[in-house]
Amino acid sequence: MTPIALPRFANVVDAAAPFALALALGAAVLLTAGFEPLGVYRLMIQEAFGGQRQIAATLTAATPLLLTGLAAAIAFRAGIFNVGAEGCFYLGGIVAAVIGFAAPMWPPFVLILIALATASLAGGLWLVGPGLLRARLGVDEVVTTLMLNFIAIALTSWLVNGPLLARGSANSATPMIAPNGELPRLLPPTTLHLGFVISLAVVMLYGIWSRFAVGGLRSRLVGLNPRFSRAVGIEPAPIFLATMIASGAIGGLAGGIHALGLVHRFVSGFSPGYGFTGIAIALLARNSAIGVIIAAILFGALSSAGANIQLFSDVPIEIVQILQGAVMIFAVANLGFIWNRRRNAP
Amino acid sequence: MTGPQPVQIRIGARNLTRRYGSVLANDAVELAVAPGTIHSIVGGNGAGKSTLMRILQGVDWPDEGAVILDNQPVRLASPAEAFARGVGMVHQEFMLAAPLTLLENLILGREPVGWNGLIDWRKAKAEAARLAGLAGVEIDWDMKARAAPIHVRQILEILRLLYRGADVLILDEPTAVLAPLQIEELLKLMRKLKAEGRTILFISHKLEEVLNCSDAITVMRAGRVVANTTAETTSVEALAHAMVGDNVPAPLIETHALPTGDPLFSVRGVVARDPVGFERLGPLDLDIRPGEIVGVAGVGGNGQDELVECAAGILSPVAGAIRFAGADLTNASAARFRRAGIGYVSADRRHEGLCLAAALTENFIAGREHDHAFSRLGFLRGANIRSEAVRAFEGLGVRYGALGDPAGNLSGGNQQRLAISRELSRAPKLLVVAQPTRGVDIAGSAFIHNLIAAFRDGGGAVLLVSESLDEILALSDRIVCLFNGQIIGALNRPDASVETVGRMMLGRKAAA
Repeated sequence: MTPIALPRFANVVDAAAPFALALALGAAVLLTAGFEPLGVYRLMIQEAFGGQRQIAATLTAATPLLLTGLAAAIAFRAGIFNVGAEGCFYLGGIVAAVIGFAAPMWPPFVLILIALATASLAGGLWLVGPGLLRARLGVDEVVTTLMLNFIAIALTSWLVNGPLLARGSANSATPMIAPNGELPRLLPPTTLHLGFVISLAVVMLYGIWSRFAVGGLRSRLVGLNPRFSRAVGIEPAPIFLATMIASGAIGGLAGGIHALGLVHRFVSGFSPGYGFTGIAIALLARNSAIGVIIAAILFGALSSAGANIQLFSDVPIEIVQILQGAVMIFAVANLGFIWNRRRNAP
Repeated sequence: MTGPQPVQIRIGARNLTRRYGSVLANDAVELAVAPGTIHSIVGGNGAGKSTLMRILQGVDWPDEGAVILDNQPVRLASPAEAFARGVGMVHQEFMLAAPLTLLENLILGREPVGWNGLIDWRKAKAEAARLAGLAGVEIDWDMKARAAPIHVRQILEILRLLYRGADVLILDEPTAVLAPLQIEELLKLMRKLKAEGRTILFISHKLEEVLNCSDAITVMRAGRVVANTTAETTSVEALAHAMVGDNVPAPLIETHALPTGDPLFSVRGVVARDPVGFERLGPLDLDIRPGEIVGVAGVGGNGQDELVECAAGILSPVAGAIRFAGADLTNASAARFRRAGIGYVSADRRHEGLCLAAALTENFIAGREHDHAFSRLGFLRGANIRSEAVRAFEGLGVRYGALGDPAGNLSGGNQQRLAISRELSRAPKLLVVAQPTRGVDIAGSAFIHNLIAAFRDGGGAVLLVSESLDEILALSDRIVCLFNGQIIGALNRPDASVETVGRMMLGRKAAA
């Protein structure tokens, strides 16, 4: 008779707690550094949500996080601790960029569709290996997917330093993609682009799928209790594999959208850790679609406000990075839940 | 039946209330256990015994009221705090480290350390021998815990509490997994500990044992204490009546003439290993025909678990063949076993029979979520699912709050009804049932027995595995007895009795 389902209010408190704790920690740091915390926080909120331009910047920053958060959430839900979204993000980015500059004559719709589809495919295929290893042999996916990140980052870095290096370019980057391949801007002159809408739609589709689809129920049951699932005839192994591929595909799509929507090419150091931030987002969100949206926008706000705040005050950007780091650490406290579940499930 | 309150309370509860959501698990419970006595707590499922024990042990906390230790109300923050005050518990599921030896398990966490900072094994052995002598048992201390028979593990759990200095021992259904002789040994050990001044809280469904060993008896029902009595002044009938209220337990299930004809389910030369890799089952041959209940008797750990898992398709045998309704299912997946028409009621309903964190409806349709009745075009048909679930739950008398509640909110007996309702509503041809009434109260057990019998009367085949000999004798048309993984004897119900089957369980061939 263990109380398993907490009331909804407690869930909200649980999810908000990491932010509150991080803000308290940040306030302590600010005070020590001689700043007035409330003023700095007010300025940050202003810079994140204070007007159309600021909101657009926040949503732009949230765009990749929506999908990397989703990539993590869909995996965690099925009991797969996939930390490989970062690598998929790089691969999806480079694949979309290459198609974007290699096929400049295609009509925009076709070009974008094919580029994003191929980016997803690349991300999905990248995780087939870890998926099979987990499903067939029970190999821990944390290790395999983490290691594949390094391979993906190094591989793409080599490609943009060698075969794909833009002619005449000094930095490691592909040529710019064709204008046909760019995702349309939504609110020029801001950088908010169609990718935000696509990402938001994908997360909402996940929300519907997870609640109402047969597959959503199966993945939840397998994640909660693989032994039970097997006994009632839901084989966990195919679901592990499918989940891993779906998670990788979403990570690849995130990279493709980032390349076509914002960067307009692939550069070395393409992601400042979006895949890992996605893990924190999924943990904060407890794998729910609405939670992923809220958490992604909050992290987007932190990073866009952080970029601006040092323009308008003498608060160093490091203070924002401390905040981000603190939220992640407190969010990871939730990891205990997933970890316990894995341990208890034979 | 309320006796006078003892003046001296070693452990107890005052006006203790605990709610889980809308469920009142403990309702103003009063308990007073005198030092140096064996105090039994009996009650059906959902009576609130487990909740009370969790609170007495500091694992859970009361919403109102308090735990009493040595006449004083206290707040126990954790099991460690309870332990510091001398209260220890032996759980239904043993908490031993399987790869360690019994000696290592005994001292784990309180290792005697020598001058050099290393474990002082000589001291550990001496202490172990002293405890074994005190308990009047002989133990091979170098045996690995996973290789130890179940009653030895249990005795070790008790010795471990003594080693750590507990003088109040809470024993949660300690006899559930023991054979009759071993139960007698355990009761003897309990009396010995009592004679040394220790206090024992004994939880059991088996009323004969309770009467046999207790000084005082507390009966709980639906979260409340309904009677306080003593072994001298009560009887099995009076206790049973207090436990179930006015429900009358059902008598033995009628047996039929055995069906003849082709077997529905047939096992040939099957050999299976446990998760650690030991061969626990076989070679074994077994046939089950439609319209019969085949009961498998045996002391726990003689291959029953492996037989059940093979029959449900969870475990692949390392040798032999399994045929069902004309098809070869050897090495098929559990999903194929189920599609072929085999239902499975797991002995471990908390981890395998149900998904406690998932909703009642989700537990109900799990495995059939793709059926046309429950989904269309890959999407769940919520209204259909709910109405089907309500119908099935009503038919089986599952008591629940809301359909969206997690299954973990139900009491043990209702959880079992939920699991059985899912399996029966799939209309299987063979039902594999393991320990269907373990931890279920008398009325609930009778209800479940009648369900199984009705399934048989409708032409279903049943493989019943139970550690309760009474259950096997009450239900089975045919009884086979497992010993060391092999069938040591088989009897038809009219020829079977507690004595004949009990003898076989201990490894003696049936007197022909």
